[in-house]
Amino acid sequence: MEATFLLTLLITFLASFIGYELISKIPQTLHTPLMSGSNAISGITLIAAILIYPEVRESQILQIIVLIAISFATLNIVGGFSVTGRILEMFKKND
Amino acid sequence: MIEIILLISAVLFIFALKLFGRPSTAHRANLFAMLAMALAVFSAFNFDFSKYDSAFYITIVISGLLGVLISKRVQMTQMPELVGLFNGFGGGASGAIAYVELSNSSLPFNDYFVAIFSMVIGMFTFSGSLVAVMKLRGKLNNFSSKFANIFSVFLPVIFFIPAVLEMDNFVIEFIILVALITGIIRVAVIGGADMPVVIAFLNSLSGIAAMSAGFIVNSIILIVAGALVGASGIILTLLMCAAMNRTLLDVLKGGFGNTTINNEYEKDPISTSPEDVAIQLSYAESVVIVPGYGMAVAQAQAAVKELTNTLKDKNIEVKFAIHPVAGRMPGHMNVLLAEVDIDYEDMFTLEDINSDFSSTDVVLVLGANDVVNPLARTDEDSPIYGMPILDVDLARQVIVIKRSMSPGYAGIANPLFINDNAKMLFTDAKEGLENIIKSFELV
Repeated sequence: MEATFLLTLLITFLASFIGYELISKIPQTLHTPLMSGSNAISGITLIAAILIYPEVRESQILQIIVLIAISFATLNIVGGFSVTGRILEMFKKND
Repeated sequence: MIEIILLISAVLFIFALKLFGRPSTAHRANLFAMLAMALAVFSAFNFDFSKYDSAFYITIVISGLLGVLISKRVQMTQMPELVGLFNGFGGGASGAIAYVELSNSSLPFNDYFVAIFSMVIGMFTFSGSLVAVMKLRGKLNNFSSKFANIFSVFLPVIFFIPAVLEMDNFVIEFIILVALITGIIRVAVIGGADMPVVIAFLNSLSGIAAMSAGFIVNSIILIVAGALVGASGIILTLLMCAAMNRTLLDVLKGGFGNTTINNEYEKDPISTSPEDVAIQLSYAESVVIVPGYGMAVAQAQAAVKELTNTLKDKNIEVKFAIHPVAGRMPGHMNVLLAEVDIDYEDMFTLEDINSDFSSTDVVLVLGANDVVNPLARTDEDSPIYGMPILDVDLARQVIVIKRSMSPGYAGIANPLFINDNAKMLFTDAKEGLENIIKSFELV
């Protein structure tokens, strides 16, 4: 997906706005799972690492740095979702 | 085809955030977000899996397994540290990607700024989060804030470096170093009780770093998801700040509570015993429990649950009053209470319960201090003046379980402790509760 810079800025603004609106009324009880879940989502930067990995073939150092980024982002995603699931499990059994 | 997958992914992310807003739908939210993430990551390969070597796949598999392992083994009381740690990883990943893009390809001028922005925010989040984790583990003491505040002036300045200097690897690495050091000292000066703000703020920053990485690699889904996280993190940050009546800048400046003023008490508090507390509780009709960080430190959740059951068996109404910044991350107390099966219907926010205190028989304060300090309402000179507090002093009887009369984070005396309707039970939260429960059997 490619777009012009201006259009991209518009999308950024809209996404921020939606995020703000959706979350602004969240009850305090869910602050921790929300934070931990959105924290897992921020690991989506893995996509950037996947996209640039084939481009850094020539430099071994850069390749290692991208692999570190991949490792960090994967840990963030998998660990984050897993721990959010654990937290939410505790809320679920109360229902 | 890829476009359609990405569209579905973006919509799922938005729905996931929506579902996170209600306890009954929140567990579905997590599944939606996972599915959205899987689709987004899958689409990044563009159906060409052969471009990637075995080192790539091995890294993903091992890191994923490690993530599961860490998240399954950690205790619920260590949750703030874990969230901080994962957050640091996310920020570090974005920062590293920005670095690679800066030193590898010839970016257009616009992207240069975005890449530096992403790199600085990512590296700041990385080192700041690691320091926050160390602070939460109690491995690091507060740092003098003067030096840190002077140093932080450098952070905005480095954004202008690309405008005046030819960018080479040396300059880029210098910028990384400044960002890392700023992250370390910025968080190091902030005290433990401000951690809910710090954790939420760093969470927001990791989203912003991911979003800007999306600009560099031209990925709309990355921008959308990053912006969603950034915005939700900002909301939590502002909520936490409002709950302390302080601005974000004031929290980040650090050094709060370092100046000890007016720390003396006019008279001695009334000290009580577990037996007396048990008798008082058994004659009450309504009890409100106010948990604070002291409950988490003492690992007293199970004892809280046991006491709640004992009281409910006697047909005594039990409610929990939870201040927004109680504990070390947003919603910390709620999670700890949920862990021991306390119904979230019994947990009340400050706004919902404050009007109830005047008709409450007994309030039990468990390791909370500043959030129940009436000076916030009355003393204009107090550092906590104007902070919304739980008005427990209005209840008929207040029992504070606390190890000593030592001041809380704000470093000020709490006149609640010497109020006529207050009694102190000087012990650790867990031990105190267990002794009260034992005494109940004798009543």
